[in-house]
Amino acid sequence: MRLSATIRGSTYSFTSVKEVLAKANPPKSGDDLAGISARDAVERVAARAVLSELTLNDLRENPVVPYDEDELTRMVEDTLDATAFSAVRSLTVGQFREWLLETKTTGALIRSISPGLTPEMSAAVAKLMSNLDLMVAGAKCEVVVRANSTLGLPGRFSSRLQPNHPTDDVDGILYSTREGLSYGCGDAVIGVNPATDTPESTAEILQALHALRTRNKIPTQHCVLSHITVQMKALDLGCPMDLMFQSLSGSEKGNRAFGISIALVDEASEKMRARRSSAGPNFMYFETGQGSALSSAAHHGADQVTLEARCYGFARRYKPFLVNTVVGFIGPEYLEDGQQITRAGLEDHFMGKLLGLPMGCDACFTYHSSMSQNEVECLQVLMGAAGCTYLMSLPVGDDIMLNYQSTSFHDIPSVRMLLGKRPTPEFDAWLSATGIMDGDKPGERFGDPGVIR
Amino acid sequence: MTRAEAVELPSRTRTLMAQLRRELGNDEPLPPPPPVATIPPPPQRVFPSPHRRTGFAEKAAAHTTALLGIGQVGTRYATDVVLQFQAELAVAHEAVATVLPEDWAAKHGCLPLVSRVTSHHEFLLRPDLGRRLSDESLELLRREARRGIDVQPILADGLSAVATMGAGPALMGAFIAECEKRGWKVGTPLCARFARVWLEDDVGQEVGAKVAAILLGERPGLGTGDGLSAYLVYDPRLGKTDGDRNMMSNIHERGTPPAEAARRLAILVGAMLEQKRSGVSLDLAPMVAELGEAAGTGYRAPQKRVRLVEVNR
Repeated sequence: MRLSATIRGSTYSFTSVKEVLAKANPPKSGDDLAGISARDAVERVAARAVLSELTLNDLRENPVVPYDEDELTRMVEDTLDATAFSAVRSLTVGQFREWLLETKTTGALIRSISPGLTPEMSAAVAKLMSNLDLMVAGAKCEVVVRANSTLGLPGRFSSRLQPNHPTDDVDGILYSTREGLSYGCGDAVIGVNPATDTPESTAEILQALHALRTRNKIPTQHCVLSHITVQMKALDLGCPMDLMFQSLSGSEKGNRAFGISIALVDEASEKMRARRSSAGPNFMYFETGQGSALSSAAHHGADQVTLEARCYGFARRYKPFLVNTVVGFIGPEYLEDGQQITRAGLEDHFMGKLLGLPMGCDACFTYHSSMSQNEVECLQVLMGAAGCTYLMSLPVGDDIMLNYQSTSFHDIPSVRMLLGKRPTPEFDAWLSATGIMDGDKPGERFGDPGVIR
Repeated sequence: MTRAEAVELPSRTRTLMAQLRRELGNDEPLPPPPPVATIPPPPQRVFPSPHRRTGFAEKAAAHTTALLGIGQVGTRYATDVVLQFQAELAVAHEAVATVLPEDWAAKHGCLPLVSRVTSHHEFLLRPDLGRRLSDESLELLRREARRGIDVQPILADGLSAVATMGAGPALMGAFIAECEKRGWKVGTPLCARFARVWLEDDVGQEVGAKVAAILLGERPGLGTGDGLSAYLVYDPRLGKTDGDRNMMSNIHERGTPPAEAARRLAILVGAMLEQKRSGVSLDLAPMVAELGEAAGTGYRAPQKRVRLVEVNR
């Protein structure tokens, strides 16, 4: 393994694969904060050149957090599909990029080798890709999952309806839900971030959403995004729960800060398998986001893109129904501006899809980052064109509980019409039956929450 | 055959002419537009205001501040909604961008401190620097501040200097008064620029306070940049984490008013002094009633969402 490259007579040497991976990253304020980014654009390219010559086997042998120190590394290593890995082990990262972009490399082919990839491999190849590369390769990947409805089919573009409320007022949550449904949103999930993390309030919100969903025969799923241990207790209270949620981090230490471990999520997922109120083989929902490991000093000197990919290595163990990166929520100290947030959204979508996950994205910004409303509107179209499975939808994109700006009830149908995409087939039929949509166009009851009882 | 049908019927000559134009590359790629019609103005769709709400918007507004029942044009917002939304965004961005003037602290009777941050841009990107005092401020603190105290109040800019300059002095004054009323030794009033929450550890450790309380502008929400948060920690020193703190947010006239917030914060301080701890391990059960909404989850009527822009006619 050679870890040095020469650019115009200057030699750039690196001491570890982890350092090469970090310095090959496009600029991110979070990598600067961690003190691990390339010192200039030339060193960045030198790192990419070195990375392009490493083989996928080199990456497998050099995880960014050592096997002995981290249960995520051990789980990925011990469960890697040997046949799939052997098909790609000798490819360099540069060759792997080209293989992914080749016309004859189909989504089905990518799906066949995906179980042989470690998160580090998906992060490495992302670092050699431009934004359009990430979109072209990401759009190829096929990931289709099913709960009460079927998500991720070609030509489909879904949304999570996010009717958050600062005090969990159930009526307030239902008003937002009805409005969102009337714009054709909510086919991925109706998912509430609760203000109060108790089993009782989780159960109360789930009961109310379940009643609304049943009363109106809406082919979607519901979820309350409290801590996984709280949701387990809510299941014990006997409430309906279509999807079970948890935020993930890219290292064992980071997950400890989130109060979880592989054993805990295994236990929760088995409980959910037995008790869930949804149909279909997929029922877990995970959120991730670049920078979360560093924010709890659990990054082990690795860059935030690679750590993000390791969240996907964790997530795929559970064949989830939903995974989304929350790309601009964490703040400018990790993703400074629209350019960095856009890049992160495209990277995360590609890496997650490559690892076999139904990737969605919370395309968003906080009011102290340098991202504009126009930039987030552009990002939605990019994500949609890249084949992103779903985006969020809120009233005017304004989360009145978490105080940040995401995508809106009005944005989802706009992007669908621009890109010629439709919601899940089950939800599509429901929208036509209610008159909310008339085929691919707004119907007579579009934007009329009175249509939902 | 009517006249209209005759026009519709392609004549052989016209077809030949069209073909010729196409071959020469002179044909228009689109047929001519329809004749100009009368364009009626669309029905007025406005940001909710009491006299213009639809039934749904009005009912929803009793339960949530989310903008609901706003209608649509095609799949997009009405012009009025766009403008109100942009005004709300501008207010939030303005709150973040505002820098606390250097002389503001002294004018409001506080000892002026600054973190290790040297510019607003750096403040946003380097939370680690915002958590430590500059060498000069540390020196000033050693020279001038009261030591060996029960409570150290610190007013700070945080992510909204607008909030600090708004309800800040009232909250600080009321909090100090509540503490003194209970007979506690209160530290010199301090005001820190470019400050993050954890700066209270550095300050509190230096002056030997039993409890440090930092009152600072919170990250603005849409249309609101005037909220303050308070974070309290027992035995402040470097190395304390978020789990060691108790916090209270949404302190402003439309949320929890400063006088009320100050009283509840003092109750929290009392519990910390008595139990000698803070954060997740602090037992709030004995004072739930006294704390009211500060510790509980009772129903709160939603704040009113107001129109921010009106064109003067």
